[in-house]
This record gives sequence, structure tokens and C-alpha cells, in this order.
Amino acid sequence: MTIKTKTSLLYFTTLTGLVAWIGGIFLAPWLKYRSQDLSGFLYALFSPTCHQIPSRCFSFYGYPLAVCARCLGIYFGFLLGTLILPFSTRFSTLDLPRAKTFILISLPIAVDAAGNVLQIWSSPNWIRLLTGILWGILLPFYLLTGLMELLLRKKGKSYPPREINRN
Amino acid sequence: MNDQRPGMFVPALIGGCIAGVLSGIPLVNCLCCLWIIGGGILAAYFLSREAPAKLTAGDGAIVGIFSGIIAAIVEAVVNIPFRAFSEKLVQDIMDRFSQYYDEMPSGWESWLGDGGGEGSFFWTILGLGISIVIFSAFGALGGIIGISLFARKKTVKDAEGVVDVSENSSHHQS
Repeated sequence: MTIKTKTSLLYFTTLTGLVAWIGGIFLAPWLKYRSQDLSGFLYALFSPTCHQIPSRCFSFYGYPLAVCARCLGIYFGFLLGTLILPFSTRFSTLDLPRAKTFILISLPIAVDAAGNVLQIWSSPNWIRLLTGILWGILLPFYLLTGLMELLLRKKGKSYPPREINRN
Repeated sequence: MNDQRPGMFVPALIGGCIAGVLSGIPLVNCLCCLWIIGGGILAAYFLSREAPAKLTAGDGAIVGIFSGIIAAIVEAVVNIPFRAFSEKLVQDIMDRFSQYYDEMPSGWESWLGDGGGEGSFFWTILGLGISIVIFSAFGALGGIIGISLFARKKTVKDAEGVVDVSENSSHHQS
């Protein structure tokens, strides 16, 4: 399998999985609206990674989505970042974003989450969504790069023989 | 050059245990998936501390996956004693609601019911399996992020042979 094939396979598998994952978030309340038992399974599927508190979730067909507004924003942002990634890097590099970039992009969600946890303020759902989207956009540049490096790794050594570049 | 990769189990164990415990405690687990990502970052940090060789994003992914698996198992174990507490909490909430409302607000009844229900062994194992898969993905993400934050800055450029010595290079380059 060529490098291009492996890269394309990884990319489109991730994209498909992501679309299915986000689809499941909206499918859960829709199935509940239709009184389908499968909705319980879908809500349970997302429960390990989200508190699913109804007041912090957007509604769809009258029922809360399977994840909260912040998580939804992260997943939407992740999808957006995944769509942007091929145009920005063209899969020609295994470099990760700089630490400063990560810290800067993480500040809004970190500050917002800290404020809510410490009960200094209670953010409306659209703020949670936006901070989640902003942070989520950066994540595929980490995950896909890391998985790509793993996939392209030859036995006993990394491929290509370059480590994290910090310019 | 020493390319021997450090053991990943101990860093993954540390990151996974901390993430699993925090994810399993009710109320504390309000940060959703961020605990698992944090566990991956922590695992990558400990890995980078003892790494004699340069670490790559793939190394971060591997240690993150391991930490995610450990976090899922630890979270399931930690959740057991808190399940009784959660059921009591759910009952108290529902009793309180019934004093003030004729009808539960939309969505809350199913949320509380799902949280307070008695699970069978099959569903517990299935839930653990799903958690392992999901936590592995989040852990991998955290591990890769951690490598970018904490990995040693000794670098080698690509096949053109340009050597880039970072400003923090306090170790001998081979």
C-alpha cells in the first residue's frame, strides 16, 4: 500500500467516523421523539464522555441532544478542522502545531470551563458551543498527524525520520 | 544515537489511573472527555521525562491509547461504589422535583432514569467495551498533544540533512 493510499484511507475513515458520530448525537433525540428504544442505547453510547445535563444541551425535536453544547462544539470544530487539514498541510508534513498555538486556542475554553466549574459564572450554551468549536478545529492537526505517523512507521523506526519540529 | 524507546506502561498507568478516577467520581466528572485527554497529556509528560530518545507523535498516540484503556477500566471500577450514591442522589432529585412540579421538565426524566437504573452484567461489559474504544481515542489525542508540549526539542531535519539544534538542547546530540 502506498503512502498516499494509507494517508487517504486514514483521512476518509476518520471523516466517515466523525460524520457518523455527529449524526448519532442528533439521531438520539430524533429516535426518542419517534419513541424508539434505540435512543436509549445512543444516549448511553455518548454518556462516558459527556455529563448530558439537559439544561446544557441544545434540543432537537423537543429532546436534548446526546451531548452538551461544549462537546457538540468540540465535535463540530473537529469536523471543520478535518475538512481544512488537507488544504493547509496537504499531508506533506508530520509536524504538530506549536505549543503556543495550542495554549492560545485552548484559553477560551479553559477560562470558560473554569468559570463554570468554580461557579463564577454560568455561560449560555452558545458560548460553550463557540469555545468548543474553536478548540475542536485544532484537534485533528494533532490526532490525524499522530495516527499518520503511526501508520507510516516502519518496523523499528519512524517514518519519515523526523521528530517534532519546533521552529 | 540511542533510539531505544522508553517503557510506556508506567506513564500510561499514571495518566490512566488519574483520568479514570476523576472520570468516575460523580460531580467531578463534569468536564466530560477533558479528563481523558488530560490523562493522555499526563502520560506523555511522564514518558517524555524518561525518554532517552526523541519522541514522535506516534509515540504519544500509543501511550495515550494505553492510558485511555486504563482510564476506562479504572473509571468502571471507581464507579461501582458511587453507583449507590448516584442512585440515592437521583431519587432525592426526583422527590424534590415532584414537590414543585407536576411534570418533570423535558429531558430530565430520561436523564435521571438512565443514570439511576439498575444495569445488567451484559450491559456493564458492553459499556466497558464502548468506553475502552472511546477513551482510547481521546487518550491518543491527549498523548499526541502532550508530546507536542513536553517532548524534547532535539530535532533532526528531513532527508536533506539539515540539522536543527534547538535552544534548549542541554543533552549531547549523537
